[in-house]
Amino acid sequence: MIATNVRRLGFYLMLSFALVSGSVVWWQVLEAPALATRADNPEVIAARRSLLRGTIFDAGGQVLASSEVIDGLSRRTYTDPAFTHVIGYSSFRFGSTGIERAFEDLLVGQADPNPLRQLVSDVLDRQPQPRDLTLTIDRRLQDLAAAELGENAGAVVALDPATGAILAMVSSPTFDATPISGDPDVAQEPMDALREDPSEPLLARSRQGTYVPGSILKVFTAAAALDAGVITPSTTFPDQPRQETEGFVVDGFPIREHDLGGVEPALWPLSEAMQVSSNIYFAHVGLELGGEAMLTYARRFGFCGPLEIGPPDRALSVAPSFLTEPADGDCGPTSGDAELASAAFGQGQAVATPVQMALVAAAIAGDGVMPHPYVVRDVRPHSENGTPTDEVLERFTSRGGTRVISTEAARQTRAAMVDAVNGELGRAYAGQADITLYGITEDRSAGKTGTAQLGGEQAPHSWFIGFAPAQEGGEPVIAIAVLIESGGSGSDRAAPIAGRLMAEYLAMRGSGG
Amino acid sequence: MRIAWRGAELRLLLPALLLVPLGFIVTHIALSGTFEPGPLELALGYVGLFVLAHLVLVAFGHRGDQLILPAVGAMGGIGLIMLNRLPQDLAGTRAFGLELGMAETQLLWFAVGIVAMLVIAIGLRDHGILRHYKYSWAAIGILLLAGTLLFGYEVNGARLWVNLGPVSVQPGEFLKIVLVVFIAGYLAETRTLLTSARMRIGFLSIPPLPYFLPMLALFGVVMLIIARLNDLGTALLFFGIFLTMLFVATGRRSYVLIGLLLFVAGAFVAYQLFGHVQLRVNVWLDPFADPLGAGFQPVRAIYALGRGGIFGEGLGQGLVTLGGGLTIPFVHTDFIFTAIAEELGLLGAFALLGFAAVLVFRGLRIAALARDDFGGLLAVGLTASLGLQTLIIIGGNTKLIPLTGITLPFVSYGGSSVLASFIMLGLLLAVSHRSAIGTDEEPRS
Repeated sequence: MIATNVRRLGFYLMLSFALVSGSVVWWQVLEAPALATRADNPEVIAARRSLLRGTIFDAGGQVLASSEVIDGLSRRTYTDPAFTHVIGYSSFRFGSTGIERAFEDLLVGQADPNPLRQLVSDVLDRQPQPRDLTLTIDRRLQDLAAAELGENAGAVVALDPATGAILAMVSSPTFDATPISGDPDVAQEPMDALREDPSEPLLARSRQGTYVPGSILKVFTAAAALDAGVITPSTTFPDQPRQETEGFVVDGFPIREHDLGGVEPALWPLSEAMQVSSNIYFAHVGLELGGEAMLTYARRFGFCGPLEIGPPDRALSVAPSFLTEPADGDCGPTSGDAELASAAFGQGQAVATPVQMALVAAAIAGDGVMPHPYVVRDVRPHSENGTPTDEVLERFTSRGGTRVISTEAARQTRAAMVDAVNGELGRAYAGQADITLYGITEDRSAGKTGTAQLGGEQAPHSWFIGFAPAQEGGEPVIAIAVLIESGGSGSDRAAPIAGRLMAEYLAMRGSGG
Repeated sequence: MRIAWRGAELRLLLPALLLVPLGFIVTHIALSGTFEPGPLELALGYVGLFVLAHLVLVAFGHRGDQLILPAVGAMGGIGLIMLNRLPQDLAGTRAFGLELGMAETQLLWFAVGIVAMLVIAIGLRDHGILRHYKYSWAAIGILLLAGTLLFGYEVNGARLWVNLGPVSVQPGEFLKIVLVVFIAGYLAETRTLLTSARMRIGFLSIPPLPYFLPMLALFGVVMLIIARLNDLGTALLFFGIFLTMLFVATGRRSYVLIGLLLFVAGAFVAYQLFGHVQLRVNVWLDPFADPLGAGFQPVRAIYALGRGGIFGEGLGQGLVTLGGGLTIPFVHTDFIFTAIAEELGLLGAFALLGFAAVLVFRGLRIAALARDDFGGLLAVGLTASLGLQTLIIIGGNTKLIPLTGITLPFVSYGGSSVLASFIMLGLLLAVSHRSAIGTDEEPRS
């Protein structure tokens, strides 16, 4: 009979059932936690698609980004393209960028800013509570900055030097993020158009664009040299007047002055050298300072590595700026005196982001303390009606700053920058950044223009960094960096934009706006 | 006709069947959000069907196994609860002026299947009849296969379906039964003649030609199914059934080993030759390599399993939808186990596996108690068919083996599958009945 064989078969089948049961346990128990958080988990995708995102308001409480759920699909609408490179986009297809990415969990309410409430919410398995964000940026200044840049490729970054609150951060050209954030099935085409656009609208020039800084870097060089004690405001270099016309040969590499526009070379101390933007003077300063000291100061100011806007766990990234040829993500050692001398006036291997240069201005305005920038002011419960709720769940404030140079060195640099805008010689270069031209009577501005030579046929980048109020006893409330890609001279293009924006901001504050 | 009470069957059947209305009520509450029982006609119809089947068996004095029907009632019940919970437009019937949703159609097929089961269980007084016509069965089998090859059309990449007017039939489901009957007849005959004959090559003892030739023939058929019908699951199932029966008939593990080696070699050749086989295997090895493309099905199934966890998400509360559709593909057929495991959790999955195991071990018990070789081998083949099919599809759902598209017996939606499975139950019950009645009533074969 076959009964014995049947019993043996039973054993093998039992084994098979055990094996299959084991594989069910594997996925349902052992692997389940790992599966739950994978990005291609349809539950994660579906949950994200239908989650209401919180509203993002400007500092004045106006809606910049809002969501509504239509047919189970959360659709995001952005009201102001001037903010695209700050807020970023939240796309089901392309992921999220900018603030949408950095504050993702708060916006969709998967995290609570209060850890205790977060715990309660975890225990009760509550529905996510979307949160609204308020930015530190006032839409009026942001829009004005965007309008001033117009069709030009460029960027404006303005911040409060005392707190680090970003006041404006514009990258041009920009784009409307609404089409790529809506229905994932129709988002591909507008995204492709943006990707293929030769003007690179997707690039956040303010944070991710790195540009030869040119003469605006002389502010840094002066500050570092003054702090190190290698120069004083009255330091002069005897060979400098002669070299203004003949050139200054460093290591066989001739450094030439830019077109001084009829100004007679003379033995200039710091203020005059800053006003006429003497390359020769600052080449000497750089050589006096030395490569190692210059890079030490550069790192203190935030160069030579990535920067962040906002608290470290919710930061917008800023591309690193370098003074020398980068090596392993850091500034490499200077190759020689020629590179050092060029870097000292912002040429050579130097590249910087507009955010970095705005921070340099802020450090001078802040008496040597460089603030930690942030752009989100507070988190609130979600409001349905388009105006922020009164309750504030978490407030982001200044996280202090880092002292990069002494108060004295900062004050001396600041005086030279005030002269650069308001002084007899400086007016010819940076006079357009004088805020008294734009209706401000009580206060004065400080700053420095830059006309960054790119070599070849390319028109130079037009730069300006500065701050206001900058007069003796004035308390600076805005520090700014303006860049226009291949915009020509800093005096003509960037300086007037910076002047108008600083004046507008002072007027906004004055009128209690 | 003498009444024979089947107390154990009734006592087990009632709690198992009570699950069905309960499941319907829970589903309705979860899906509608109202505290109302919702429509219960289908659930009660299901309970009525099984109670009726029980009563008919009692009335005809059937003395077959009493655990099979409760186990199947529970499995089918879980299946029907899930089919009722799923969107009803996934499948259904629109024929003969009828317009039935998916769960309604499934219940209709359960009715047809149970009638077929009762007719066979009661009507087949002597299963030996089947044995006498084994070559006719073989011929019918070849016709079924040929019909599928000639007239079959593709669903989900596998050419398994034949259109018969308003109803689509999967001949493979019935081919399985014919195959089991034929092999049981053949082995029962040759077994008595050839138990001692043996050849050896090295350490392997080669089956004598009467075993080896049908093995080769069936192997050929299986390879044909892989190559032409694109159906790995059915091929694996057929060969598995044959090897299981051969093992029981001869008691030789080496024959099974040789068969498995043949299958592996054949599968390797198929892997080299056919793109669709390669794809299946590669997806099996690493489904996450292309989670939205080739790995779509297994990846979605695995996520559903993970979501379920130990206790499940609850009836009507799981099953993610994306873009208006459920994320689990073929959720009512190939992947119904996955849906059950998601909503009822590991506990529900184990319950289902447990019921299937009960069915398998009662089937083996019937085989062991059978009073003739043919009956025993027939019961082994039928049990192996139901058991292996369950193991292959759940193993595929859980990535234990490459995924193949076959149904989970009594649980997946599908008329052919339900009807064929109930015919097998009827045959099992018939064999069981015959061993239960005394030798005094029936002559020993």
